[in-house]
Amino acid sequence: MIRSDAIRGHLDAIILRLIYEEDRYGYEISKEIAARTNERFQIKEATLYAVFQRLERKELIESYLGDVSHGGQRRYYKITKLGRAYLRETIDEWNEIKDIMNIFMEGLT
Amino acid sequence: MKKIRSHVEEWFKDIPDSEAKETMKEEIVQNLEEKVQDLIRKGKAEEDAINKAIVDFGDIADIKEELGGGLQGRSQRNKYGIHLGFSIWGSVLIIGLMIFINFYTSPDTIWFVYPTFGVLWWPLTMFYRWLANKQ
Repeated sequence: MIRSDAIRGHLDAIILRLIYEEDRYGYEISKEIAARTNERFQIKEATLYAVFQRLERKELIESYLGDVSHGGQRRYYKITKLGRAYLRETIDEWNEIKDIMNIFMEGLT
Repeated sequence: MKKIRSHVEEWFKDIPDSEAKETMKEEIVQNLEEKVQDLIRKGKAEEDAINKAIVDFGDIADIKEELGGGLQGRSQRNKYGIHLGFSIWGSVLIIGLMIFINFYTSPDTIWFVYPTFGVLWWPLTMFYRWLANKQ
């Protein structure tokens, strides 16, 4: 499994992307990340909630209470207009980073 | 399931109370309970499932930082500023009093410098604490 500090700076983007697709709640997101990466990357819940808090403060996402399950009410997250714009910018930036890093990382094994 | 709630309460114990904290606690309890249900469905015993969910949760420090860390840091810096201000005012008043008594009672002997040096350690200490905190 990947070192969590190597991916840390990109967590906001990963989570924004998942919320961008549809409104989701915390546990669903952690399951989704594990499933899509074939369990190669599993986000710690503590980190996940810290990211929610940060994104909500920056007004990139909003939360609302959804349907009742197992006695509790799920808190869903929804991407805002600002969040969409931010995600788009992050994607451009990521492509740039990828190109630059590839210049130095490709070719060696 | 009570065990989950008591664990979450324990994690959040030293985070200052706020509405955001309560909402997050509710959210975490709900999500953890759902995770435990999932693990039980996959064949784990309830006790094991709860323990796994709790151990997997990770380091609460991340949340602390987001919920109260920033605020706390700011008030800490402010507090040292107040300590420094108080020490300066306090020492000026004490030295002023010493000068007054000195010249009122024995204007021929200048003794007020001795207590002045003693008192100056106070604002000096506070100044360096403030400086260290600022960096």
